[in-house]
Amino acid sequence: MKKTLLALAASTALTGPAFAEAPSTEAVLDTYADLAQAGYADSLATAQALQGAVDALIAAPSEDTLQAARAAWIAARVPYQQTEAFRFGNAIVDDWEGRVNAWPLDEGLIDYVDMSSAAVNEENELALLNVVANPKITIGATEIDATEITPELLGGVLHEAEGIEANVATGYHAVEFLLWGQDLNGTEAGAGARPFTDYLAGEGCTGGNCDRRAAYLKAATDLLVADLAEMAANWEADGGARTALMADPAAGVSAILTGMGSLSYGELAGERIKLGLMLHDPEEEHDCFSDMTHLSHYYDGLGIRNVYLGSYTRVDGSVVSGPSLSDLVKAADPAVDEKLRADLDGSVAALGEMKAAAEGGMAFDQMLGMGNEAGAAIINKAVDALIAQTRSIERAVAALGTEATVEGSDSLDNPNAVFQ
Amino acid sequence: MRLPALAALLALASPAMADVPEVISKHVLPGYAAFSKASADLAAAAQTDCAAEGLRDEWNATFDAWLGVSHLRMGPVEEQGRALAIAYWPDPKNIGGRQLDAMLTKADPALLTSEAMAQVSVAARGLFGLERLIYGDSAQISDAYACDLRKALAQDLAAMAATTEAGWTGGYADLVLSAGAEGNATFLTASEGRQALFTQLITGLEFDADTRIGRPLGTFDKPRPERAEALASGRSLRNVTLSLTALRAMAEALAQGLGEIPQTEAAFDRALDLAGKLDDPTFAGVSDPSGRLKVEILQQAIQAARTAAEAEIGTLLGVSAGFNSADGD
Repeated sequence: MKKTLLALAASTALTGPAFAEAPSTEAVLDTYADLAQAGYADSLATAQALQGAVDALIAAPSEDTLQAARAAWIAARVPYQQTEAFRFGNAIVDDWEGRVNAWPLDEGLIDYVDMSSAAVNEENELALLNVVANPKITIGATEIDATEITPELLGGVLHEAEGIEANVATGYHAVEFLLWGQDLNGTEAGAGARPFTDYLAGEGCTGGNCDRRAAYLKAATDLLVADLAEMAANWEADGGARTALMADPAAGVSAILTGMGSLSYGELAGERIKLGLMLHDPEEEHDCFSDMTHLSHYYDGLGIRNVYLGSYTRVDGSVVSGPSLSDLVKAADPAVDEKLRADLDGSVAALGEMKAAAEGGMAFDQMLGMGNEAGAAIINKAVDALIAQTRSIERAVAALGTEATVEGSDSLDNPNAVFQ
Repeated sequence: MRLPALAALLALASPAMADVPEVISKHVLPGYAAFSKASADLAAAAQTDCAAEGLRDEWNATFDAWLGVSHLRMGPVEEQGRALAIAYWPDPKNIGGRQLDAMLTKADPALLTSEAMAQVSVAARGLFGLERLIYGDSAQISDAYACDLRKALAQDLAAMAATTEAGWTGGYADLVLSAGAEGNATFLTASEGRQALFTQLITGLEFDADTRIGRPLGTFDKPRPERAEALASGRSLRNVTLSLTALRAMAEALAQGLGEIPQTEAAFDRALDLAGKLDDPTFAGVSDPSGRLKVEILQQAIQAARTAAEAEIGTLLGVSAGFNSADGD
């Protein structure tokens, strides 16, 4: 969907009466880029740890090595989800994101599924392609040799095949499916329960084609690491993302707010949280195989607050921080800043309650169930908090911007154009 | 205390009104009243005769009325997911179809009460739930449960329409009209009220171009005519035309009293003219090059209307579009 970008002339904020208190726009953008750099570096490091755990699982499949790989996947999501706040404001991130975090997926493209489950998608001819089981596959009119399962096959041929977004062959959720398998418990308790024997070579292999499944998992994990390395490099001193951000400071400030607002409202509150409740459909769960959706939502919320406050606590506990957007807004309108900070704390707290409830035994897919009023209340509280903070983000835009007039044609061709 | 204020505003001679009051009195409230009336008629018809064929006229009239307000995604219609429950589309994984099939198989009478129906998945309810039962394969089902389900869905739709209308007349219209007044915690400035309405206009145009037309267009190599909206009932183009007509009226009302919007009007007229001349009610022509070109040109004309409205009306109102629920992917 097209993003509706916000008009903003950040430089005008610096002419306000509180000029002395405001940091320079460049300093704020430096902090933001430093946060991104640290966040993607942490994402890369934890994905490399996942890669090691996957190698160990494939080398010696056991309940222990499978659990260790799952634990490594969960740990890798913590820094990555916090980087989602960078996505919608930066074209270079948004264009790349589909490779690493695409969702929802027709997992039958990758491996076996329960035929009575919702994995069947009438609009997607490839929804049951099952590459693990089929060395020769046909996409459209093209026959493809999939004997070797490589990162190139996944990223270049299968991913988004036929232009269908549900054909997710790569990224965290493909790996998640390969580690957990389908969650066939509906809105009842329980996550995916793939046995480690799905990776046993030779005798004892379950699910068939264990060697090809292992090759798929290996290729998908390697590709994830390579993709994250690319994005981490984009935020280094001369990286593409940082350069693009600094090239136009007013547009850069707009990018921060656009990322915060689009993630808060349309994506997180709407698509990922509220919609699932309205549909009562467990397929509408972001991490539907592992039932770790609560973590995804919580760290998204934390990431939004991070970019506003200009502070990120790294995986090793160290803190990256500096002059922040909050400082800029405060100089323009202290009341707007105070409200937005309170709203961000509110959403992190509400998402924290969701996380606590899930860790206490009520997974997100159970919260979606028809008739689960306690679950619905937890979800609605988080949604309300995210909507409230979106309104405050719009007010921050208004506080920093002036007459927001619109110049049209750019917006159609270039979603990152700033209307002014 | 607020109701008299609204009544007073609505009683004003219409030419004197400007932007927000104009939109509410001439566009929003009559639109919801018409939708409420049409859906009540549908519910009444279903009580009399719940066979699929007998409901088609009233169902179409209700869909027509919904298109007058379907772009308004603020206020009462956003509560309890009503907008989604009224018209859940697109539904690429056929959640609505699966849920309805499950309901027809299970034939649980407990689900037919209005309280239970309000708890059912939004994908199975509303206009598209009913479309499946009066045009789709399920239209052939003549058993008592399918019949009762049509009645219950029509009743549920009418209830949502009435609640939405009552929400506007009973408070939300006042809230928008009093944007910026002391004690209004939703719209802190007059500008926020204008921006909220303006966002609906822009988002509505985006939905027509990107989703109603963009989904069946697919790509040149892979057109997707099967993804057109309301395909079973053959209303795909009609929905675009009626939506554009409503959005044009909203654009006029937003600009009322503030200035002229010649480019916006011309762009709307061109899009409506193209839609009127397009002899392709379900966009089936997207699969062949010449038919596809006509649909693409209509899409571009709608995008041009959006561009013009952003420039002209955005300037007149002094706002830009805010975040909307379609942000994200």
